[in-house]
Amino acid sequence: VSRALELAEQAVAAAQGDEADVSVHVESSGFARYAASAVHQPTLISDETVTLRVVRDGRVGCATTNRTDDEGLAAAARHAAEAADSSPVDPSFAGLQEPAPVPEVGGYDAATAALTPEDQAEAAAEAIAAVPDFGLYGYYTSGVTEMAVASTTGLAVSQSMTDVSVLALAASGDASGYAEATSWRASDLDPAAVAREAAEKAARTRGAGQIEPQTFRAVLEPYAISELLFYFAFTSLNSLALLEGRSYLSGRLGEKLFDESFTLRDDGLDPETYPKAFDLEGVPKQPVLIVEQGVARDVVWDRRTAKQAGEGRVSTGHALAPPGQAFGPIPFNLSMSGGSAASVDELAEVVGDGIYVTRLHYLGVVDPREGIITGMTRDGTFRIEGGKVTTPVVNLRFTTSFPALAAGLLGLTEERTLVNRSDFYDERYPFGTLVPAVATDSFTVVGTGSGPGL
Amino acid sequence: VQDLAGHALDAAVAAGAGYADARVVTRRAQHVATKNGEVDSVSDSETEGIGVRVLVDGAWGFAGDPRLSAEGACDAALRAVAFARASASRARTRVELAPIPPAAGDYAAIGRRDPVEVPLEEKIALCLRAEEGMRRPEVKITEANVRAMREERVFRSSEGASVTQRFVECGAGIDALAVSDDGRVQNRSYPSAHGGSSAQTGWEFVEGLGLDREAPRVGEEAAALLSAPACPSGVTTIVVDAEQMVLQVHESVGHPTELDRVYGTEAAYAGTSFLKPGDLGALRYGSEHMNITADPTTSLGLGTFGWDDEGSPARRQPVVEGGVLTGYLASRETSALIGRELGGSMRADSWSRMPLVRMTNLHLEPGAGSLEDLLADVDDGLYLSTNKSWSIDDKRLNFQFGTQVAWEIKKGKLGRMLRDPTYMGVTPEFWGRLDAIAGPDEWTMFGLTNCGKGQPGQHAHVSHGTSPARFRDVQVGVRS
Repeated sequence: VSRALELAEQAVAAAQGDEADVSVHVESSGFARYAASAVHQPTLISDETVTLRVVRDGRVGCATTNRTDDEGLAAAARHAAEAADSSPVDPSFAGLQEPAPVPEVGGYDAATAALTPEDQAEAAAEAIAAVPDFGLYGYYTSGVTEMAVASTTGLAVSQSMTDVSVLALAASGDASGYAEATSWRASDLDPAAVAREAAEKAARTRGAGQIEPQTFRAVLEPYAISELLFYFAFTSLNSLALLEGRSYLSGRLGEKLFDESFTLRDDGLDPETYPKAFDLEGVPKQPVLIVEQGVARDVVWDRRTAKQAGEGRVSTGHALAPPGQAFGPIPFNLSMSGGSAASVDELAEVVGDGIYVTRLHYLGVVDPREGIITGMTRDGTFRIEGGKVTTPVVNLRFTTSFPALAAGLLGLTEERTLVNRSDFYDERYPFGTLVPAVATDSFTVVGTGSGPGL
Repeated sequence: VQDLAGHALDAAVAAGAGYADARVVTRRAQHVATKNGEVDSVSDSETEGIGVRVLVDGAWGFAGDPRLSAEGACDAALRAVAFARASASRARTRVELAPIPPAAGDYAAIGRRDPVEVPLEEKIALCLRAEEGMRRPEVKITEANVRAMREERVFRSSEGASVTQRFVECGAGIDALAVSDDGRVQNRSYPSAHGGSSAQTGWEFVEGLGLDREAPRVGEEAAALLSAPACPSGVTTIVVDAEQMVLQVHESVGHPTELDRVYGTEAAYAGTSFLKPGDLGALRYGSEHMNITADPTTSLGLGTFGWDDEGSPARRQPVVEGGVLTGYLASRETSALIGRELGGSMRADSWSRMPLVRMTNLHLEPGAGSLEDLLADVDDGLYLSTNKSWSIDDKRLNFQFGTQVAWEIKKGKLGRMLRDPTYMGVTPEFWGRLDAIAGPDEWTMFGLTNCGKGQPGQHAHVSHGTSPARFRDVQVGVRS
């Protein structure tokens, strides 16, 4: 029995209610964050978080604690009971998950779990040493996360996950390039190679020129399309947003909205992502076909939204922990199908004349209903001229429609990259998107910014 | 608790740390959210732990441990030292800290009614009542939320600092989402978007927000936006309300004046700054009307404290005076780098994170007159209210912000409501177009709890006081 499941079952036993479920998160992680080629924010975290939900006479209350001794769990049980007793009956509550077999998934690597702070510092040093001509900024991080859900229904599931990421911004005053890599196996990553990719990109960004804002044909590297996709997903591929009419897909399921080359799934069982066996209500993960050859098919669901929708809907296993369920379910294992292009250079040939985008910065959803997202490009933006990636350009302000971008796909690489999407706020929960590089005929630039570099 | 911090410091120094500090944090927080007349969530959370930060041979190390025991404290210290030592052997430069007198004393937030002790039934009832007032046929979703937090933070350092601080926060907000029959969506919020506004004080702050009073207006405006014309594109005069000015100050003044960003330590994530160390006292940031002050002594501010998370005392510091950059937000490390005593802005969001340079309370100082006076001097323009979307580049120059609503200004008077307004600019050019700020009577402070920075990420709680402000010749109505 894992530590997380042991704690979950202790907390269920401590609960004061007709019914209760508990999700537990146990984290041990290290973060060797570097800037100007020196580690400056090295952070080691160990923590255990217990979220307890009780049902008392149809009233629901939650409490969370990291005090995991008997006294702490008893206090959490008391707080949850008080929360429930203070609330009216919750007619939207969908009940607790019954025990059900959860799939066997990967996602845990003993060698990654065994990495020490010295190993993390060494990996950071390898990345730094690989880039003598630029300052290196970013991090090497690895961690072990144990999740467990248990309940009075007899549910008892647990999973251990490892994750490791290296992020590299190679930069000087007038140049900057970016690369990153992530996996649940540290042996998949070569920190020095990631740093060199960033440095090679940076060296090409000197002397960036201006460009006239317009809607461009564009190539987006996996780092860029991943971020746009996730922002779109957060606001539109969420069944709560769908039901409330806030999603781009509200009223549009079944319609052909995107190019035929756009197929999108969420699949927690896919070992190429960060595999997950169950969600934070203990519901087994179900693969969801979200877009099939351009046709919008579905979004992801939790128990609450499935009940709200009715008509036989069931949870697809995408719930957050109870207090976070107000956001609705989230697709943490998105994967876009690849295409036939052998490289980004081949995508540039398809584009002909346009722009090449490595990475984006500080996205904001301007209009979630229409899927319009704004942000800046950075650390590797170039012109594409005559089918070749040519000269660097300054950072570009884009305000673009994700649906138009996906409807205008011109090509996708066959190779796909898992891109980390966690910024490591609060409890560690590894997730990312598995995406190809894409070419599109619709990427709208509305302004220009400063040049690359620090 | 003081002893636990002492154990950690002793262990760190014995293991070779040249400097060490320890923070022991205990926090209890509550959040109540209601939606469409039902309780959406009621949660009550506790977290506690110790964070130990060390310098070994001039390199940082940090470790957090949830166990408030001598064993937990010593483990955190030894792990921090080991991590620092592993980095120190490869470091090319040594971290130096600007000297400060060892902090000593207590700080406690002032408030009449402990918000955590306010019964949950009362919190739920307040939310449901406020929601009721927003209901309209077009308003499909009404939401209300309240939050309450109590935190004790003990800080000790190997230099002899020893302080205990007790913080209390609470806040609330309401939102109405209107959806038209053909699927268009618009929203309005009060007192602020993104969860409302918070303050460091007792429950009387939430009661004083007047959610009931404002709810009917919020619902009516959300409904009216469905049939409002779109904000046109063009270059015009804008008057920005105090709530959106909070975002403007935060993103285009607060973050770029964080000295760690100026030195590049956030380059890979949050970004850097267009400012350089040598700009201090020389760079023209905006027009002569622009005065910005960092003030961790402001009553009710979420960034108010006795000492920051490395023991520097709270003090009021100008950041922009008469449009000229005169200050930075800084740490002891960055103060040493720039050679000026600017520290006092180091904050961590929990026991498990290293302190970073963060905003405290950053205010736009008021000008003169009323909002009506600002409008009166606009022949043709827009009045923009309540943040909806935001994005700014990695140097904090090029921004595009959207608000929930705009009203035309025609010959000094407010006219038609407009939907989906956006405006964009480049930071010093935009602030250079500032030609008036409303006076102290219009000055309002908002508290935000969602300021992100750092890797691993941290959420800072910060406050900004602003008045409505007027800017000439601004690009509005950006379209995709």
